[in-house]
Amino acid sequence: MALGPLVEVEGLAFVYPRTAVPALEGISVQIELGEKVALLGPSGSGKSTLLRALAGLVPHFHGGRFSGRVTIDGRDTRRTRPAELAGTTAMVFQDPEDQVVMTSVWNEVAFGLENVGTPTAEIPARVNAALGAVDALQLAERRAIELSSGELQRICLASALALSPRLLLVDEPTSQLDVEVAESFLDALTGLDATVVLSEQRIGRALELAERVLFVEGSRLLLDAPVVEAVEWLADHRPDFLPGAEATLGPVAEGETLLALAGVSFSYGDHIVLDGAEIELRAGEVVALEGRNGSGKTTLARIAAGLLQPAAGDVQRNGTVCYLAQDPGRYLVRERADEEVALAVGGDLERARRALARVGLEWAASRHPRDLSSGERERLALAAVSVSEPRILILDEPTRGIDPPRKRELSDWLLGYVDEGNAALVVTHDETFPAHRRVRLGVPEAARV
Amino acid sequence: MRLSAVPAALCLACLAAAALLADRVWAAGAVAAFMLALVCRAPRRRRRLYVIAALTSGLGVLLLSPLFANVGFDVLWSGPTLPVLGTLDVTTEELRIAALNALRLIAVALAFAAYALLLDHDRLLASVGLIRRSALAAAIATRLLPTLERDAAGLLEAVRGRGVAVEGVRGRALLVSPLVAGSLERALSLAEAMEVRGFGRPGRTRVPRAPWSWTDKLAVTCAALLVTGGALWL
Repeated sequence: MALGPLVEVEGLAFVYPRTAVPALEGISVQIELGEKVALLGPSGSGKSTLLRALAGLVPHFHGGRFSGRVTIDGRDTRRTRPAELAGTTAMVFQDPEDQVVMTSVWNEVAFGLENVGTPTAEIPARVNAALGAVDALQLAERRAIELSSGELQRICLASALALSPRLLLVDEPTSQLDVEVAESFLDALTGLDATVVLSEQRIGRALELAERVLFVEGSRLLLDAPVVEAVEWLADHRPDFLPGAEATLGPVAEGETLLALAGVSFSYGDHIVLDGAEIELRAGEVVALEGRNGSGKTTLARIAAGLLQPAAGDVQRNGTVCYLAQDPGRYLVRERADEEVALAVGGDLERARRALARVGLEWAASRHPRDLSSGERERLALAAVSVSEPRILILDEPTRGIDPPRKRELSDWLLGYVDEGNAALVVTHDETFPAHRRVRLGVPEAARV
Repeated sequence: MRLSAVPAALCLACLAAAALLADRVWAAGAVAAFMLALVCRAPRRRRRLYVIAALTSGLGVLLLSPLFANVGFDVLWSGPTLPVLGTLDVTTEELRIAALNALRLIAVALAFAAYALLLDHDRLLASVGLIRRSALAAAIATRLLPTLERDAAGLLEAVRGRGVAVEGVRGRALLVSPLVAGSLERALSLAEAMEVRGFGRPGRTRVPRAPWSWTDKLAVTCAALLVTGGALWL
């Protein structure tokens, strides 16, 4: 254990391999033991790279050009591999599916303890304590494949906590989670003894949890201040990053009905998901479809898009429909961004490039979709569903995990889109997303336990 | 009766070996039927793909191999003569051999399905010492199969959601490349997560292991006897 700050970063700069643009530049920061730090900034600003530098993954795992110095608990990360830092540091990543190694929950939590050489007799007690800390002891014997994303992300947190880290790095852990699940995950971070550095797009919750804010933009650290000062700075310089209020727009003039679902029912096997659901969508309006987990929002959206057939009920569509699924950045199929977008318009590249320009990605036309950042991929997917200019656009959780400025851009774009006589149905938990109407879906009686 | 992971894996291996060694159609059929009953204990959605793959492969062997084999004299059907392949015909002996091979293939494929769907891979992994890294790679690959299925469905839905029809084998084949690319991306992320949790660091320990129960010992003994029986009498 070293004296002095737990984390010392001096003049850190980093460039990923085969790129010219620095991911980090001139970062210097010190973090004391026990501090709770919110790491804020737009998508692609360098937050994840900074967290990876603190875990030693940059440069050891990713390669690239690294300059400056990062010291964790007195150990220089250039000479200490991430595996050797494990136990001092622990990290929870964005997507729980990408970090679970073992089949059963209990063994998953034990995996890190085994790796760092925890005495055999201590392992069971530490696994159980970690599962208890995230309120997941009841999941201990379950298989990871059977868990929801929220449960899985809590298991990932338990796996990190089991190592009793002095530094816990958390990289947008709620970006794949629904709002209630995200809240319960963030609650589990409160009261930890460890130093926590949390990168998070749910700014309000991050500010509640933290004592100090680091704001990164364009690869540089723009702000390092206590929360109160940081809120003032954000209000003056980056107001988009301050939590917004619920946004319901005024009703629109009654346009023609573009989509009408009446008495729609659906079940997966014996599990009833929808029972007589109804919704109507008129030209010129954005309708937010809300509801608790398991209320069948996504199922209803897929039925509306024609991707599922209801067991009962009537679906009327007056115009073409396109559907943007959750986590669309993962489901891109072509080798170039413009070809990806052109897929829906019979390979018309000119039209595809115009659609790319509408979402601010004209520069990426010849890039491979998987070379783009996660936020850019989401915008590419939006261009890919909107290029054919469908009259009805259905978006499933489009704001999950995107930064506030991008969220504002998306809502502005969507309002412009419906102004042209189209309509949009947005499945969302985000009450700050502007909509003309908000429809709440209840859990069917028969589906309640 | 619930077996520990290692005895269960040994039993599956023995049953697959017995099916391969069996020389009678009824014996291979009995093993295949037992395996099918075992796989049916897995949830329907998860077992569907495995069962379809195993039965389709077996059916393919049953239908095609008699046409190309040239065994036996009791001709049941005589077809045209094709260049390179010669005369297509089916004999009783060819049918018997095809049925035996098909049942062997189904039994082995279903043994793998039972391994993938029902076994506790973590406990299996904990029991292998020297080849732990290879066993871990196999366990992760098995665990990620359902994720791969989900990604394939996600890709299909993403394309259909844009109003693009994906039809036939050719249409679906276009999704293979992005599916592989996505899997590689996941593999990299997983490797990163493992490294940060200390994987590869010297001096690792293990969770305590439970000793074999009497049912474990009994099952392994029976499975070994079955292999011997398969080699000698079945």
